[in-house]
Amino acid sequence: MIMKALFRHSMLVLVGTLSFCTNTFAADGQLKIPEFAGLADKAAESVIITLDPSLLRLAARFLDPSDPEDAAARAAIAGIKGIYVRSYKFDQDFAYPKADVDMVRKQLGAPGWQQLVQVRTRAEQQNVDIYLLVEQERANGLAIIASKPREFTIVNIVGSIDMKKLHELEGQFGIPKLDLEDKK
Amino acid sequence: MSKDFEQQLHEALRPVDPEEGFEQRVLARIVQERSSTLRKVTRWASVALAASVVFAAVLGTHEWQLRREQEGLEARKQLLEALRLTGEKLDVAYQAVNREAPEPADDGSGA
Repeated sequence: MIMKALFRHSMLVLVGTLSFCTNTFAADGQLKIPEFAGLADKAAESVIITLDPSLLRLAARFLDPSDPEDAAARAAIAGIKGIYVRSYKFDQDFAYPKADVDMVRKQLGAPGWQQLVQVRTRAEQQNVDIYLLVEQERANGLAIIASKPREFTIVNIVGSIDMKKLHELEGQFGIPKLDLEDKK
Repeated sequence: MSKDFEQQLHEALRPVDPEEGFEQRVLARIVQERSSTLRKVTRWASVALAASVVFAAVLGTHEWQLRREQEGLEARKQLLEALRLTGEKLDVAYQAVNREAPEPADDGSGA
């Protein structure tokens, strides 16, 4: 009887700890992106980018300040702690595990994440979801999940995102004018 | 004549006791020469070792710098690719939002 109670208590503690860890993950803006093991072999094209703080610092050192694209990138990553990208293109429809992509979408239901844009196009069967992690009126994380029958992309930017600097990237990386200036 | 020569030869070749301390001096000299050789070998070995260490350190640093530079350039490439992809997806959303919400037509009222 005592053992049963002890076991139940341990399980509660474990579940509580896991729940805390999940919330912590969400709180710092870093999503738990699945491994997508073996998907790169099946994909026609794959982009896997993991830039943690140390790699971001290293990358910043190699950006040429005299190059406008590099200068814009340097300004954009100030305050950013990590950039994680998974992008796959396939030769067939839905060759990727949709459940894994949905699992990432589910994490964006955590407190703090706010949906900025949701795009659903019937013709192209394209879904694009853009979320911001807003804390104390600051964007501390960005998540983009874009999927089509033959491709999907997950972008997770962790850290303080300066939307003005993102705006300044306009024209540098195909980033559109986002109309962020105050309308008078 | 022959006897004289023989006598002289005999005297010349007679065993002579070495001076006192001869053995010690010979032994000391041997030890001294040995230690001198050892010192020379040790000195050269030290110089060679030091040179090897300096060479290895220079080579190691150079290799590390090359590797670090490659990692840095790769990280830069990944960063630009990540920003390009982010921009591309933001653009898709932007285009879609613009399609759905066209700008209101100017009615020319000037109000």
